[in-house]
Amino acid sequence: MSFGEVWNLIIGNPVLNVLVALSQLLSGEFGLAIIALTVIVRLISWPLTKRQLNSTKALQEMQPKIQELQKKYGKNQQKLQQEMMKLYKEAGVNPLGCLWPMLIQFPIWIALYQAIMSALATTPESLLGLAQRLYSWDIVNQAIPLKSHFLGLDLGSSGNFIIAIIVGGTMWVQQKMSQAPAVDPRQESTQRMMTLMMPLMFGFITLMVPSGLALYWAVSNIIGIIIQYFFTGGWGYLKFRSPFKSTQ
Amino acid sequence: MKQPKILLLVVVALLPLTLVSCISGYTQLAKGWSGTTVHEGIIYVGTMDGRVVSINSSTENLEWSYSTAPVTAPSSGLSCGQTSAPTAIYGTPVVDRDIVYIGTYSGQVLALNMLARSQNLTFPQQRYGEWEWDCPIDNAKSNAIVAALLVRGDAIYLSSSNGRVYSLDKEFGDLNWESKVLDETHRKLWTSPVIQGNTLYFSAYDGHIYALSIETGELLDWSFESETGFASSPVIYGDTIFVGSFDRYLYAVKIGSDVPMWKFPQEEPAGNWFWASPVVNEDIVYAGCLDGRIYAIEAKTGGKLWAFNAGNPIVSSPVLVDNLLIVTDESGTVYVFDLSAELGDEAVPLKTISIGADVRSSFSAQEGLVYIRGEDNQLYVVDIDRGGVSWKVDLTEKEE
Repeated sequence: MSFGEVWNLIIGNPVLNVLVALSQLLSGEFGLAIIALTVIVRLISWPLTKRQLNSTKALQEMQPKIQELQKKYGKNQQKLQQEMMKLYKEAGVNPLGCLWPMLIQFPIWIALYQAIMSALATTPESLLGLAQRLYSWDIVNQAIPLKSHFLGLDLGSSGNFIIAIIVGGTMWVQQKMSQAPAVDPRQESTQRMMTLMMPLMFGFITLMVPSGLALYWAVSNIIGIIIQYFFTGGWGYLKFRSPFKSTQ
Repeated sequence: MKQPKILLLVVVALLPLTLVSCISGYTQLAKGWSGTTVHEGIIYVGTMDGRVVSINSSTENLEWSYSTAPVTAPSSGLSCGQTSAPTAIYGTPVVDRDIVYIGTYSGQVLALNMLARSQNLTFPQQRYGEWEWDCPIDNAKSNAIVAALLVRGDAIYLSSSNGRVYSLDKEFGDLNWESKVLDETHRKLWTSPVIQGNTLYFSAYDGHIYALSIETGELLDWSFESETGFASSPVIYGDTIFVGSFDRYLYAVKIGSDVPMWKFPQEEPAGNWFWASPVVNEDIVYAGCLDGRIYAIEAKTGGKLWAFNAGNPIVSSPVLVDNLLIVTDESGTVYVFDLSAELGDEAVPLKTISIGADVRSSFSAQEGLVYIRGEDNQLYVVDIDRGGVSWKVDLTEKEE
């Protein structure tokens, strides 16, 4: 068995068939199926998300202590960094923890990308290929062919600027809400770059991938923002001002 | 140390997407699966490098070839740049007197004169009756012509991926009429129409069989509606339309009726779609299925007469020659059934011949020879009596 066959058997085909079945359940709307799948993926990855949110919450609660440390060791950056890392360690907090739920979702993104390209069958070859990947469930076969339009989006086409801006914007908000304060100016600079670069890159990538995948990212980000808002009780670090700015 | 770590994460994040896209396994390019036509000893076929070729079946030599204009391959996903690609050809060439008609995936209909092409004159030579017609995109995603053209009387009928059906003047390529049939959500029309009397019938992915006037293109009152889209082109036998569906049933629909006469299989659905158009002869429907089976079905009742499991999907429509039913499966095995013999419930083929290449295109058969274009872009001529490939020719253009 090749890697491709194993991939399809374990991840690719299940995602494709669930997506097509959801589409049939939701009045044949492929866009709604993508949104429903996003919710399902978010539910499955809830333990990881919860861990990340706990971490964010803990960081928020640590703010007075962090500020104390900043006052105390403001002139000795090395010592400040050491003390803050110690504080994070004691609280069991990983400042980069927010990236793990995203990394875990990569296989889903790839499978979803493939599923959208397969399911919308833009060429006769891909429509024929779809026959070999669908399960023999009635609900799946009755859904074919799928509607590719949803809320003005052609889910199989790329290059939609509005969805790219939504993906980039929501990603920026979500990152800002969860990003722990940096422990030194260098990390602060890296974090600032990441907070800007990641949404920009994803916005750019969104222009090149099918709008269906972009819809998944946008909805996933919005769900993330909502969960974070209610779990941490507010906008988190969205309005947080870096203490290092004054020292620069 | 933090900065390289984060950058590494970004690289890790983007690499899978880039790889998946560049491999392009899921953004399949349209390569085409043109079928073969044999006319007065000459074989006509579309190639995978976007040419229409004619090959003399006696000498096995190329008579002429015409290269369609290449297209710019659309960027798909994070694809690594745009490239020029040959135009895909899915339809089978149609020969009418000295003109070969073909539709292309780039939305063109070409009328090629055999004499002009054999002299390699600049296309189109109007004095030889050549013309080309560009299908409008009409705000659709594509104007691709996938289904075979239908030539009847003085007109050519075709369906396009823009959801419209067209009638062209056969002699000059002028538009007779166009009919907007499908809405925005189900634009693709990849099935060929059929004609009975003055009515043109076609099956669509939106689950309808539509009827149009061949004179005006006007939609007629009757249409048949199914819950699922139709996968195959329809076939008419008597007053009944036979068509395969995505719900894994073959439908028999009496023209004018709102309910199907029967659905096959009668109990559980088949193992996959009925993708290929069935053929009907002497009240028996022969239908190939992507579940790997060929079924013989009683046309009036929908009862199963016999079946044969090829083990591989049957993509191409079966062909009937005299008493022989010829079937190919996707793996390139040709099965020949003697219909004059008693076949029982589980039919046994008279001959089983492998060409050694995948087959998705329609094929033709004449005088004991079967002409098949393989997915390796080779033309195979199978001799039924000898039980093997008689000769083959590579259709890929040789660089001079």
